[in-house]
Parts: sequence; C-alpha cells; structure tokens
Amino acid sequence: MSKSEANVVVFACNWDGLSSVEAVAQAGLSYPASVKVVRVSCLSRLHQGLILKAFELGADGVMLLGCEPGKCQFDTDPALITQECEKARKLMRLLGLKEERLVLTHVPRGDGSHFVGRVTSFIAEIGQMRSAVPGGA
Amino acid sequence: MFDTEREISDTRINLCLDCGKCTVVCPVAQHDPDFNPRLIAQRRLGQNRNIPQDDTIWSCISCYMCTERCNYRVRFPEFIHALRFEALEEGAQLQCTHGGALQAVMHMMARGDLHQDRLGWLPQDVELAEQCDTIFFVGCAPYFDVLFSDLGVDTLDGVKGALRLLNRAHIPFNILANERCCGRDLLLQGDREGFLALARANMEEFARHGVGKIITNCPECHYTLKVDYPKILGSTGIEVVHLTEVIAPLLRSGELRLGMLEKRATYHDPCTLGRCSRIFDEPRQILAAVAGLELVEMEQNREKALCCGASPWVHCGAVNRQIQGQRLAQAGATKADVMVTACPKCQIHLKCAQKSGDGKTTQVEIQDLASVAARSLD
Repeated sequence: MSKSEANVVVFACNWDGLSSVEAVAQAGLSYPASVKVVRVSCLSRLHQGLILKAFELGADGVMLLGCEPGKCQFDTDPALITQECEKARKLMRLLGLKEERLVLTHVPRGDGSHFVGRVTSFIAEIGQMRSAVPGGA
Repeated sequence: MFDTEREISDTRINLCLDCGKCTVVCPVAQHDPDFNPRLIAQRRLGQNRNIPQDDTIWSCISCYMCTERCNYRVRFPEFIHALRFEALEEGAQLQCTHGGALQAVMHMMARGDLHQDRLGWLPQDVELAEQCDTIFFVGCAPYFDVLFSDLGVDTLDGVKGALRLLNRAHIPFNILANERCCGRDLLLQGDREGFLALARANMEEFARHGVGKIITNCPECHYTLKVDYPKILGSTGIEVVHLTEVIAPLLRSGELRLGMLEKRATYHDPCTLGRCSRIFDEPRQILAAVAGLELVEMEQNREKALCCGASPWVHCGAVNRQIQGQRLAQAGATKADVMVTACPKCQIHLKCAQKSGDGKTTQVEIQDLASVAARSLD
C-alpha cells in the first residue's frame, strides 16, 4: 500500500450501508485497498470504545456508514450513534486528533457509486490534513 | 525490567499462613463465592504449576482491605497484579469495561507525537505560574467527563476546586499541557508495557519542564507518581504530594480559612488515598474547617472503609454493583446530604451504580472534596 493512501476503517451497517459497499463491485467500480470494511448489525451497535480502538490500531480515518434517516431496519433512534460519535469526537479533540477524521455518513440502499465517491473524497480530505500537519493529521 | 518471581516474593505472599482472614474481609468474596484470595495464593504457590489459568484473578478490586487485615501485611493486590501480567503474557484476554474506550485513550496517550488539546476547561480566573517548578497534575478528569457524560459526572469540578484552593493559599503552580495518564489502571490490569510507555512519556515531559514537585487531586495519580514510578523506573527526584497534604496544614496554622456551607456530609475514603497512602485525617480536617458543615461517619470508615467497587476498567459486573449498593446504603444510613470523596473514580463508579441500579440504590449527592471546600469560599 502506498504511503499516500490513508488507512480508513468503514463501519458499515448490515443493511443500506453494507449493500452500498457490495454494490461497488457489481457496478464495476472499485475503492482503494486501504479501506477496510467492518460489518456491524446496526450503527447503534457501535460506541466510542470501538471507534477509538480503530484509531488506536492505526486508522487515519473512520467512517460510519448507515441507513438514511428513517430507514433503519431496527427503528433505532439515530440519536444513539450521533451521541457516541459526538463523544468520540470530543475525546479525539482532547487527544489532539482532528475530529474531521471521523465521519457519519448515510447512503441510499445499494448505491455503490455514492459510497465510492464519499470514501475517496474522505481519503483526499485526510490526505490534505496530513500535508497541512507535518507528521500526520 | 519486570522480574515476576521477585515481584511476587516482594509482596510477602510466601509468608501466607493460609489463615483466610483476607478472604473474610474481602468485599468481593462476600458477594462472589468463587473469589477466594486464600485459595488464589494457595493455587499459585502450590507445587503443581500445570493447573489451568486462574480466571478469578480478574475479580480483585485492589482495595487493600486484605492487606489491612493480614497479620504479615501481605500485599495481595500487588500479587494479583503480577498474576495478571503473567496471564496476559500467556494470552489471556481482558474483558474491558466501557467498550475498551479507556484502554484505547490510555494507549493513544502514550504516543510520542501526541499534542493534546486538554486545557479548554481551565477557568480564566485561575492563576498559573509558568516558570514554577511545581506542577498540578490534572490526571484524566478532562477525559472522564466526556467518557462518562451520560452519568452526569463532573470530575473537573474537583480539579477546578483544587486549583482555586491553591490560588487562595498563594501556592504557585503550573499545569502541563501535554501530561499523560499516570498509567495506574494499565499497571493494575497487568499491561506493563502500556504502563511503561505512559510513565516514560510523563517523565520526559517532567524533565523537559524541570518539574521538582507535583501536587495531585487524584489519589491514584498521587500513589502512582509517588510510589510506582520510583519503584519501576528508579528514583525520579520529584516530590509528590496530595492536595489534602498541602491544604490541611495551612488550615491548622490558620494561614488559610474556608468559608461556610451548611450541609451534613459523610466522607468516603478512597482506597488508594486511605489504605495505600495512609491519608485519613487531612481530608476530614479540611471538611471540619468548613463552617456549618456537619461531618458524620459511615459504618465502615478510615482503615475499614468499603471500596467504591472500582475496577481498573476491566471485569466489572454484578459483584461490583452489589459492593457499590452496599457503600451507598451506608452513606444513606448517615442521613447525609452529600457523600464527599477525594477520588474521581469513586465518583464515577458510585454515580454509575446510582444511575443503573434497580431504583432502590441510595440517591445521595456525590461530590469531590476539593469541590466542596472551594464552594465554601464563594
């Protein structure tokens, strides 16, 4: 893997999130190999610990990929993941990490190109943060 | 650097007479029949070393109640820490609480290229002395208040109170913008490598700023910086004192006066401040110096104080909850308005029990000692 490609961990919900990742290959598209996708049953399964663990293990960025608002298969209140995301961002800020390295994204079901566009622009944003701060974002 | 056998022998565990007094006073053993300090020692020190890994070692809460009772003052919790280190070396997996968030934060704090942004909470009216070789070691309070925001904890209120008290007492101090976690929880859970990384990063930071004296409000930071750092890294040449050791003498001599606060309060001795550091009187002297404050003792206090049921962020479960419920009930029985503690972790654990209890948990207000003392100044 080239040094310029940021390591991104994508936590994808089992439903619209993962379906858009799977649709990438079906649509004949691809995304960089530095993107690692971790399937979770729902984004509400995630908490600040798992998000921070990804950064601890060397992720340059973390993307939380879930269903569009109102389309959750479990009718889960999106406030849960928004709250965990906010807590993780506050901790990242304390640790001197740019909070933009954590994004919460909602994609339409099965939209591979949407996911590819989002993840490549996220990698580019992290690349810019890295070049702005010597030694990494 | 770590010679486990020597360490185990230093805990005096070889003097164990198998009398079982440790087990009788152990708060965990009272609620969990599988946890038996006497048998843990017997199993580890016995001739047959081919026995399976002892899973009960993770239940110890390091409250030092056993050491207090032991005729030979065997330092059983430290024996447990060594066993945990051994277990992790052999591939045991930790059951981290709070999704491992605290471990992740502690490990990330150990990084060399860390540039924390951790002083956003610092009140403008607090005066820092930038060239001073005395520092106030804040600890993990800024992180705790985010991690446990849903419990309504405000451990930074204790830190702010401590800074106001020091300012009022005209004791100059500085704060380091990039101090790390002291590493105590990693040490207690057996993660020696993680502890060393944090300790070395802190020592480098202290050396860079020419630190000669450290004042802490957190009893765990106090004990770790004062006892564990020199023991493991060699002499640090830094004097470490707890806030109560600084404030109480000034109150006795009349150089500092506290204000008025009409409350009935009970003081919860944190294990690390009490049984480990033997600081029992100073916190009580500070509370007694607050006019209008009536101090009442719980059934178990001072050397016999019951632990808050804390764990070093691993293996927290029903037993811990029962201990916390028991301690809160003792506070409730005193009819105190406020339960005062000097440790941010006690505050977190007791508030967690109050929040997630069965509705029968005593809902007494819990506050930091420094917060209470500083509030009386307003």
